[in-house]
Amino acid sequence: MADKAFEAVNAGLAALLEAERGALLRFLAARCGDAAEAEDLLQELWLKIAARPSGPVANARGYLFRMANNLVLDRARGRRRAMRRDREWADQEEPAQASIELRSDPAPDAEAGLIEAQESAMVRQAVEALPPGARRALLLYRFEGRGQDEIAGIMGISRSGVEKHLALAMKHLRRALIDCGFLGAAASSEQERAGGAASNGNAKP
Amino acid sequence: MNGADEGILDQAARWHLASVHDDMDWDGFTLWLEASPLHRAAYSDIALADAAVEDHREALAPFVEAAPRRLTAKWPLWAGGALAASLAAVLIVPQLTAPSTQAFVTQGVSRTVALRDGSAIVLAPHSRLTIAGRRQDRLALDGGALFAIRHDPDRALSIAAGGLQIGDIGTRFEVQTNGPAVRVEVSEGRVELRGDALGQAVELPAGRRILFDPAHKLATIAPVSSRDVGEWREGRLTYDAAPLSLVAADLARYAAVSVTVPPPLAGRRFSGTLSIHNGDNAVRDLAQLMGLELLGHGGAYRLAERS
Repeated sequence: MADKAFEAVNAGLAALLEAERGALLRFLAARCGDAAEAEDLLQELWLKIAARPSGPVANARGYLFRMANNLVLDRARGRRRAMRRDREWADQEEPAQASIELRSDPAPDAEAGLIEAQESAMVRQAVEALPPGARRALLLYRFEGRGQDEIAGIMGISRSGVEKHLALAMKHLRRALIDCGFLGAAASSEQERAGGAASNGNAKP
Repeated sequence: MNGADEGILDQAARWHLASVHDDMDWDGFTLWLEASPLHRAAYSDIALADAAVEDHREALAPFVEAAPRRLTAKWPLWAGGALAASLAAVLIVPQLTAPSTQAFVTQGVSRTVALRDGSAIVLAPHSRLTIAGRRQDRLALDGGALFAIRHDPDRALSIAAGGLQIGDIGTRFEVQTNGPAVRVEVSEGRVELRGDALGQAVELPAGRRILFDPAHKLATIAPVSSRDVGEWREGRLTYDAAPLSLVAADLARYAAVSVTVPPPLAGRRFSGTLSIHNGDNAVRDLAQLMGLELLGHGGAYRLAERS
């Protein structure tokens, strides 16, 4: 019976997705800066909704947009990860490898582990350097998984005070990631794409 | 972007923080993004920076220990070692759907949920768990989770997962769903499985796993080594004749890579072990082992027949 309920919910979400198709597509295009990728992401969103039971949702429209937003982020994360790794390879192996298809030796994993450790240390340092209020709010938010309202209660400040702390923390972290070269590549390629899209309206990658 | 306007970054961070709330103004956000390519780049950076913190939650642990804590989680014995290294805090985030229902949703990192009786559940990345009932005995899972449930003769715990109902009597097991498809692997005790598509209830003892996939008319029981139960926490996924669609769903969940498997290939079976420390390598290995062509790059791939 749970399945039936899920089906009903999913049918509702699918119908809503159809109804909101235009708005979602417009959002995705604005978010990723590429009309073709937006179409692709919308398709992925549709498949996700058709395939997984997700239970009742309070605000279905917000839920769809949030899912769409997460899909864009997931792709950007994958891209950032790939870029970081490629750069690491480029730094270490002088000639470009003709084929890097199959790497069954343990080296790439060890390498990936090293990059992970570097980035982890960097995040730690950046958090250490935060102003105390911003650091406390960020730890409550990201480490303890508490909501913004809850943090306001714990810290005895207003919700907008919490937002201020968290926004500051995120700006600092962004800066630190760029300074250490962990974000720069992704950001500049976003820019190129952004520039391309702006100059000819409907740029294809 | 390095000289990005502080004001724009601030707005980007505020949109990002608001996006988790139900009252987020998505249309307003779209308009803001459309207003300037700088907005898009700033938002993308902020979201990625925040994701990096989520990816490295463990790096934040020393700060938390240094600060006076109100609550110290007691870990069940089995949760030591590797688990403690990869996880950090017990998470309690009730998202109220009904007064007695708690919902837990993970993004890029796994989290441990503790029940009042001392049972523990490690929720895999990109998964959702709801707990209902006054005795916390009605659970529903979408995604993956490792369960370590205390035996209580007075309680009949049940977990709705994909197309199955899993009944438990004090045991340790892993469950993963992908739509109606469900995999259950038992390392201690036994569980009972029921479902419309199963003719009769199935008892699954320790050391066995079931792969239930109604879409491919599949329900196979096979041996499993306890080492393979919950192995995603060690960066490894092992399969025995699993449909490619399930493998792709796992890679999205555990290795953060998107792999599209077109329908003719979805039922193709894969056997083998994938190392998922690096998602892109895992996908390449999979394509290579299956003799398929890999299209796409940078975290978003598609598998195709070799032409």
